[in-house]
Amino acid sequence: MTEVILSGRGVTKSFRGLTAIENVDFEIPAGAIFGLIGPNGAGKSTLFNLITGYYPLTGGEIRFKGEDTSGLPTYRRNQAGIARAFQISKPFPALTVRENVRVGAMFGRPGGSQPKNVVNEALAIAGLEELADRTAEGLTVGSLRKLEIARAYATRPSLLLADEPCAGLNPIETEEMVNCLRKVRERGTTVWLVEHDMKAVTSVCDRILVIDAGQKIAEGTPQEIVADPKVISAYLGEPLEEQAS
Amino acid sequence: MNRTLALVLGAIIVIAAALLPLWIGPFYTRVAQLFFFSAGMAIAWNILGGFSGYWSFGHTVFIGMGAFSAAHIVHRLGPLGDGPLSMIVPILLAGLICGLFAAILAYPILRLRGIYFAIAMLGVSQVVGELVNNVSWFQGGIGVFLQTPVPSGTTPEDFFYYIFGGLLLLCFLISIAVRNSRFGYALLSIREDEDTAMMLGVATERYKIMAFVLSATLVGIMGSVYGYSVGYFTTYTVFRLDFSLNLIVFCLIGGIGTLFGPIIGTAVMLFITQVLLSRFLDIHLLITGAMVVAIILLMPGGIIGALRSRKRQANQVEPVEAEARA
Ligand SMILES: Nc1ncnc2c1ncn2[C@@H]1O[C@H](COP(=O)(O)OP(=O)(O)O)[C@@H](O)[C@H]1O
Ligand SMILES: [Mg+2]
Repeated sequence: MTEVILSGRGVTKSFRGLTAIENVDFEIPAGAIFGLIGPNGAGKSTLFNLITGYYPLTGGEIRFKGEDTSGLPTYRRNQAGIARAFQISKPFPALTVRENVRVGAMFGRPGGSQPKNVVNEALAIAGLEELADRTAEGLTVGSLRKLEIARAYATRPSLLLADEPCAGLNPIETEEMVNCLRKVRERGTTVWLVEHDMKAVTSVCDRILVIDAGQKIAEGTPQEIVADPKVISAYLGEPLEEQAS
Repeated sequence: MNRTLALVLGAIIVIAAALLPLWIGPFYTRVAQLFFFSAGMAIAWNILGGFSGYWSFGHTVFIGMGAFSAAHIVHRLGPLGDGPLSMIVPILLAGLICGLFAAILAYPILRLRGIYFAIAMLGVSQVVGELVNNVSWFQGGIGVFLQTPVPSGTTPEDFFYYIFGGLLLLCFLISIAVRNSRFGYALLSIREDEDTAMMLGVATERYKIMAFVLSATLVGIMGSVYGYSVGYFTTYTVFRLDFSLNLIVFCLIGGIGTLFGPIIGTAVMLFITQVLLSRFLDIHLLITGAMVVAIILLMPGGIIGALRSRKRQANQVEPVEAEARA
């Protein structure tokens, strides 16, 4: 049996009547690259917002390394080891790429212990060394996505929630991003990845969770998922590969 | 940058400033004193507004509160020491009171973001000003006295020149220390994107409160010294909207969020208003206003910002091309 790093029981979130996440259970094994897929508006980003504590839960519980996370503010969850890369890049525009990453390195642990080379390591993993001294303002979409990962990685997480890191990237950049996530996992960080590009998801993920309209509809290996009739019908009318916005 | 060079330059500037009153007259000593006072406060404003992005439109509340605190401490508690201590203790207590007030105020008010915080601070400064003016215990309407124990052989101009000069230096050193520390990075990340900062482990609430309390304490200390320097003041001498706004203008002109911006902005604006336009007092505000608009339109990053972007343009041709492949 592998260790479970993150688990959810009956996770539920409503926004004034609209139930965005309903009674979702999950168990993320440590060391995996786990997938999360579902049509637009299914609730994937909302689920990540619940895990990071950006929104409070309406019901259920989320445990990280066996501990209940409720009551922990967002910054403490990060210091405990949960990092997140945003779907819509949120750089610190006036700071350089290196400074962006340095913020993650400085605050990712309680008390601010900071190994000397973590900034460089994060820049290297994301392939951002050449752009390190540029301000984040004016970076291309591809570089901004890398920055999201580098900055999150610099907090030395044990779990990285990557919300559509490949959206809007061309095939070469998507390939780079997938490799980058593999490197993150090799260094001991579990990755939970939201991705629409089915080729990327099935090639990189060990297991995949599928949600639709806030509910879990399937979970399994990539082979099981692509063959699952419920998954196919959730995506019906929209070819799986062309979901990306 | 070159540390030794900066230290040597800094030392030269400090020594030159220390000798300056020997050969400038009392008028320019007073202008310099006003410059030190204003630049020190602009730096303190910038720690909160420039570093963390929380613009306060009401920092005069700490000038007023500092000045009135010192006056009431002296009058109601009697002398709290001899010689210099009789002035130093009330000043430090005034700073402490302003810091405490900010700490209490921080909890509700720092949850407001952007313009809401700015306006809330404006409101706070108006309300506190009205209270000091109308609650007779505070004597804001009739005014209070603060007597300075000026050492014999010194003129009050020179005395306050050195005190405000020292305070400016203190604020500047604190600002440098903050900017280069973990605290400073926390503030910058809050300014750039508060939600992301949280997501990266930054205890945003705590650092915002720290910046607010630090800024308020420094302004409170300078406000109390200002009270001493004018000797007698009413509410309207120290709770002044134009104080609040000038601090912002000085930072904007020089370059908000930078270390030198507040000092340069203050120097430029005071030179224009106090020296160049001193003979045209009637159109002084008109010209100042027009200047502010012009500078902000032409140099959105202030003087420092304009210098930097010129440098960047020269340096950054290559990386832009490297980026273009995507
Ligand atoms: N802050 C919010 N307030 C109200 N509704 C929200 C909020 N955040 C998300 N939602 C709603 O929750 C649903 C799921 O959204 P989201 O999690 O962004 O989907 P996904 O990331 O899967 O595309 C959508 O219907 C969205 O409108
Ligand atoms: Mg989403």
